[in-house]
Amino acid sequence: MSQVAAAGKGRHPAQRYIAIARIALQQTLAYRGTAVFTVLILFLWIGILFSFWGSAYEGRERIAGYSLDEMRTYILLAYAINALVGWRVGSGMMARIRTGEIVIDMIRPLNYRTTQLAIAVGNGIVEGFISFGIAIGLGLLFFDIEPPESSLVSMVFIISVLLGFVTKVLVIFLISLLTFWTLQGVGLMWAQQSVIAILSGTLVPLALLPGWLRVITEILPLRGIVATPVSIYLGGTSGLAMLGFLGLQVGWLALLWWFTDKAWIRAFRAVEIQGG
Amino acid sequence: MTDVSNEPIIRATGLTKRFKRASRSSGLRGAVVHLFKPHYTTMTAVDNIDLSIQPGESVAYVGPNGAGKSTTVKLLTGILVPSEGEVEVRGISPWRHRIENAFNMGVVFGQRTQLWWDIPVQESFRLLGDIYQLDTVTFSRTFDNLVEVLDLQPLLNVPARQLSLGQRMRCDLAASLVHSPPILYLDEPSIGLDVAVKARFREFIRAMHRERGLTVMLTSHDLGDIEELCDRMIMIDKGRIVYDGALSEITNRFGWERTLNLTLSDPTPKASIDAADALSRRTGVTVDQPSDTALTITYDGRIVTSGELIRDLATRVPMTDISIEEPTAESIIRNLYEGTLRFDDVHGGEA
Repeated sequence: MSQVAAAGKGRHPAQRYIAIARIALQQTLAYRGTAVFTVLILFLWIGILFSFWGSAYEGRERIAGYSLDEMRTYILLAYAINALVGWRVGSGMMARIRTGEIVIDMIRPLNYRTTQLAIAVGNGIVEGFISFGIAIGLGLLFFDIEPPESSLVSMVFIISVLLGFVTKVLVIFLISLLTFWTLQGVGLMWAQQSVIAILSGTLVPLALLPGWLRVITEILPLRGIVATPVSIYLGGTSGLAMLGFLGLQVGWLALLWWFTDKAWIRAFRAVEIQGG
Repeated sequence: MTDVSNEPIIRATGLTKRFKRASRSSGLRGAVVHLFKPHYTTMTAVDNIDLSIQPGESVAYVGPNGAGKSTTVKLLTGILVPSEGEVEVRGISPWRHRIENAFNMGVVFGQRTQLWWDIPVQESFRLLGDIYQLDTVTFSRTFDNLVEVLDLQPLLNVPARQLSLGQRMRCDLAASLVHSPPILYLDEPSIGLDVAVKARFREFIRAMHRERGLTVMLTSHDLGDIEELCDRMIMIDKGRIVYDGALSEITNRFGWERTLNLTLSDPTPKASIDAADALSRRTGVTVDQPSDTALTITYDGRIVTSGELIRDLATRVPMTDISIEEPTAESIIRNLYEGTLRFDDVHGGEA
């Protein structure tokens, strides 16, 4: 008796990826110790930066156009937004490529990039949103951090954060693909984390970078991950400028989408899978 | 082969896969040289292979490590892109339509698990049900059946990382069949399993093959797997197919190399010289002397008979006992693995 596969019919393909996100969420919860630890480290960092900027502002009103309160808001938001996509996505992908475990992902009826995006969403819901929630809560309660000036700004801010989220996942996806050639991931992981932290405006506001580097960051997509949503939140951006910001994010996203597709096909064709 | 009028379910023509490997000398110096002047060598893992497998066949794919078995499986599953040649599985090109192809197959890798490491086995299965987009009724029916046949009930709430190898294998097998695929690829499935688990595993595959018409392609080093599960054997060596046919027929193809074991009445250290001299007019004969009182003579059964050899030797060598070793499927496969199997055809004599 020959049989017909009952699979793949009648249900929406998006359900596959929702299921992947659900499992990623569960897995992050299984390692909740790690998640809590990550969040604690994050707040330790924020604490250090707060005291650092406190000293830097002594006798000064503004640095790079920011008041101390604005700077604190900036730091809190920047780190919380950057934490939405943690180290799990990149390190997981690199490890699976390096050990050849990736064959298991490739025997399934799943698009690899969409799968990574779904995993990032699952992880992000646990790790990112916990720290985000705590950051905003703490900020509002103890540090006089101002909420956005209007609900329109809040909405644009949220859209911008989500666009930044996808941008970061795609950038990490691209860098992780290099593991197919380098066959080791530790260096890539470090490089990726520092480059994103600097060029996205997480470490310091982009306005504080040297002039030539600032020009580069203005053009690169990485500012869309952190600097763009934070400056929208901080306000003072005209409606037209906000539209421009979002436009730049969407444009870069489209380009990254196209490019990750090409890069994946290239990696898939050119490279060998490790292990027997 | 079962039904010739059927379209083959797996078809490959001239399938070739080459890898570019970085070759560099060892040590820091090698690493530095490689950085500035990388040197690559091309290695052909699968070399111009033709395959035609009918629906419902069970095929063993056999060869030593590095012969190209796993690479072939990866080409058929759409994980690798061929360098040359065509491959079609159920009329679909696996690498061009990897996702479509994935719905048609189940895969078990003996050395890797497809279960999610940290979550209970049951959750892995549910996730697979979602990934293959099975509706609840279809999923439960298949799943309940697999749980019963493979006795998975006690394992369902255990995370995969806590399973023993045998338990993990049972779960992996079930995971590869949740979506009732028409084709099952088994890549070294019984590695490390104990005898009892192995027997159960084979019984299950046989039943699936018989009752559901599952097409099975198995790569294994385990002769028991091959004998019990497969009607057809494809032998591969250095990327090329060297035999394709029934397991029982293999002795006809390679069985011409035979061995004559002689036991000598007295220790005769130079018996091999006498024997070689006595057989000097025969072609394709080699003489070995493992000990002072024994001689082994290997010969080509198509050129010379054991009777002729014994007649030649009888007056020159003091022998008390004679035994003739005919090759078995096992010894032929062992020779293939040891690299001593000869593929050349008759040299000299009649065919």
